[in-house]
Amino acid sequence: MVRVMVVDDHPMWRDAVERDLQAAGHEVVAVAANGREAMARFPAAAPQVVVLDLQLPDHSGVQVTSMMLEHDPTARVLILSASGEQDDVLEAIKAGATGYLVKSASSAELIDAVTRVADGDTVFTPGLAGLVLGEFRRIADGPADDPRDQLTERETEILKMVATGMSYKQIAARLVLSHRTVQNHVQNTLRKLQMNNRVQLTRWAIEHGLDGNA
Amino acid sequence: MRVVVTINMVALNAYRRDSFSHPTLALTVVLALVVWTGVAIWLYGRRSTRTPALLVADLLIAAAAIGVTPWLKSESFNATLPGFWVMGALLAWAIHWHWKGGLVAAVALSLADLLPREAVDQGNYGNVFLVLIGGPIVGYMCESLQRMARERDAAEHAAAAAEERTRLARAVHDGVLQVLAMVQRQGAASGGEWAELGRLAGEQERGLRSLIRQQDTVPARSGGRVDLAGALEAMATAHPVRVEVATPGGAVLVDEHVGTETVAAAKACLDNVLAHVGPGASAWILAEAAADMITVSVRDDGPGMPPGRVDEAAAEGRLGIASSIRGRIEGLGGTATVQSGEWGTEWELSLPLA
Repeated sequence: MVRVMVVDDHPMWRDAVERDLQAAGHEVVAVAANGREAMARFPAAAPQVVVLDLQLPDHSGVQVTSMMLEHDPTARVLILSASGEQDDVLEAIKAGATGYLVKSASSAELIDAVTRVADGDTVFTPGLAGLVLGEFRRIADGPADDPRDQLTERETEILKMVATGMSYKQIAARLVLSHRTVQNHVQNTLRKLQMNNRVQLTRWAIEHGLDGNA
Repeated sequence: MRVVVTINMVALNAYRRDSFSHPTLALTVVLALVVWTGVAIWLYGRRSTRTPALLVADLLIAAAAIGVTPWLKSESFNATLPGFWVMGALLAWAIHWHWKGGLVAAVALSLADLLPREAVDQGNYGNVFLVLIGGPIVGYMCESLQRMARERDAAEHAAAAAEERTRLARAVHDGVLQVLAMVQRQGAASGGEWAELGRLAGEQERGLRSLIRQQDTVPARSGGRVDLAGALEAMATAHPVRVEVATPGGAVLVDEHVGTETVAAAKACLDNVLAHVGPGASAWILAEAAADMITVSVRDDGPGMPPGRVDEAAAEGRLGIASSIRGRIEGLGGTATVQSGEWGTEWELSLPLA
């Protein structure tokens, strides 16, 4: 059983997701319709997983993600998005979300994703894997003195397979690796991306004299 | 600026007071000009009093001040009484009526300066020449600046309007996508006819989502370059095989010819999936863009094909795959490789960027 919080501004969606989660034996500890409500209820509800719609009316999906994780680093954020808006999704992932699903995913896929995210696993769609590959490519093409982490060849290879719709099981079989190893590689790519994001923020802060020494 | 030239005028006239034949009258004129400077600054400062009449009065006073000099000083005077003070009126004309105003004011002041003089020396000529050149040029520059400011305002306005339209479109699209996804989800759960409805909603949802993503990259289309990511997305949406497209985010710009050929090759891959795996197959397209290389991968979830199948087919004289995929990519200087296994079949199309 996983304690879940559902944040979505469409009541119909919220109810449907809540019903599905409860039917699968999970506990929905809180719901919220916007970023403000979500932040107000998050500390008391202390959910293990937050199912978060990225398109909230107060345009705060990315911000809510980083605020929640700052408050409770053990919480997991699973992004649900209707339109798959590329920049926002990538930003939310950089802010620490560990899963992403489009809203048309079936309820079985959603429940599976919640369970996996709660276990500390990462849930990628092929589209997200493509975006992450693209982001690392941009980092690689950037200035040579950039200290940010690059993907290893193996990680790139696995991410490419995720981006062409292969399951971890298929990837493990194709590369003759264990399922667990594939999972670790995918998790590593996200960890690097999130760490790179922090490095970038710090560099930005130093360049703009916000590091306190200016 | 008027204040500076006024102080300059007062100081110079005080310094040269010996050269006046009528010192009292000259003092009156100087004082009058100082008063007028104050009044003019106040009048120019208010939009409602910044009228042509004010500009004309300003210029007339300046011209008159030059004109009265011969009566105040001796006949063979050297510097005019107001001196550089007339600059104020000249620039006001140039700012207001641009180069034409600058020219008219310059000509009027030059005439006022030259006509009463007995002899024109090189210094006088130089001053007149500078005034005649400077007036129109300052006017022309003012005009350019004002036009640029107007154009910038218009561009900012257009950008703001476009942004607002995009924001509204997103809000509308998001709502529609939510409903379509919902219908799809509930339909699948209800079964029967509802499941069919849900499937249709799913198709529409994917189509709309892909359209929005292509929309995001439209402005990048320029100068014979096309966005490969958007073009692949458009082709995949129209294809009967169910395809999911992953792109690096943002536009992938390539030459139009490269774009067309690569999309055609990817479409040939999908046609192949349809022919060998059937309409129930799923396929994925991944586009990657490095600084010097573009890679497009197309994978299906079919049973795969035995190794060497493509070469065999080509040897048997069936050139379908060889020419429609390999031929196209090799024609662009790239390579097309195929891998197959229990996980399906994957084409990797690699194109160098010149």
